[in-house]
Amino acid sequence: MNVIVTGVSKGLGLEVARTLLNQGYNVYGISRSKTDALEQLLNEFPQSIHWVSFDLSDAESIRDIVFKQFIGLKTPIHGLVNNAAIAYDDIATNADLNALEAMYKVNVYSPIILSKYAIRQMLLHNIAGSLVHLSSISVHTGYKGLSMYASTKGALEAYSKNISREWGSKGIRSNCVVAGFMETEMSSALTDEQKAKIYRRTSLKKEVSIQSVADTIDFLLSDKSESITGQNIFIDNGTI
Amino acid sequence: MDTTLLGIINTVLDNRSKPTISELKDSDHFRDDIGFDSLDLAELTVRIEAEFDVDVFENGLVNTVEEIKERLMQKA
Repeated sequence: MNVIVTGVSKGLGLEVARTLLNQGYNVYGISRSKTDALEQLLNEFPQSIHWVSFDLSDAESIRDIVFKQFIGLKTPIHGLVNNAAIAYDDIATNADLNALEAMYKVNVYSPIILSKYAIRQMLLHNIAGSLVHLSSISVHTGYKGLSMYASTKGALEAYSKNISREWGSKGIRSNCVVAGFMETEMSSALTDEQKAKIYRRTSLKKEVSIQSVADTIDFLLSDKSESITGQNIFIDNGTI
Repeated sequence: MDTTLLGIINTVLDNRSKPTISELKDSDHFRDDIGFDSLDLAELTVRIEAEFDVDVFENGLVNTVEEIKERLMQKA
């Protein structure tokens, strides 16, 4: 089983890759940089993880670099995890068009183009594959300063819902994982006070477990979730 | 090229449990004559790309067998 995972160098992407490798999947990992942790994973699973350095703000090169050169158009693809994202956080009255465009390229355009070619390879090999997109609780709850970031994730949720309808007759599924705040680099700009405030808004009163999110992604890629599509699965410690 | 195209078209038809065809005419319209819908056309594109390394839908929609052949000739 071959799965593409974006943003594999750190945080959730790294945990997703490790979880899938432990299950026996082949992982095609994409990230801009190679961290020490990723290097360790590459050494640990030399046969089953493949990695390419690629900047997902360059959606136009996805076909050539990611699918033609790195994966190969004839490699069957069983799953795609659209995990990579960047955060541009500010209040609405400060919206900067350049920063907004850069974020939309990575968080929305690239996931759509990656899905395009992943679905194409599923069609070529008659595979009832699974697409999983990382969304955020900010889409549903709302936080000061996250309106623009949340809008990219809302776009991804709408996209996922619609492709699940479009490709369901081919057995291809698409779901979103709506993650609450995890202790990753994505939330590292928050102060301890801001984090405490966010965690107080959850039923479990703490940060979301990265492993719990990775395990849910593993579940959504597997046949155990064969009847689940077009859904948003909340892994948010019960945010209120 | 005709035999390869016919084989690809029949694979797509067969995958959707639709009746296959025995011959291909240049004037055949994918939707009206062959019975393709948009998902079949997508699969056709992918299978042609795998065979000929050409994305026939890259520059807009194609409707007939002749149009596909023209795009393949252009890239040849």
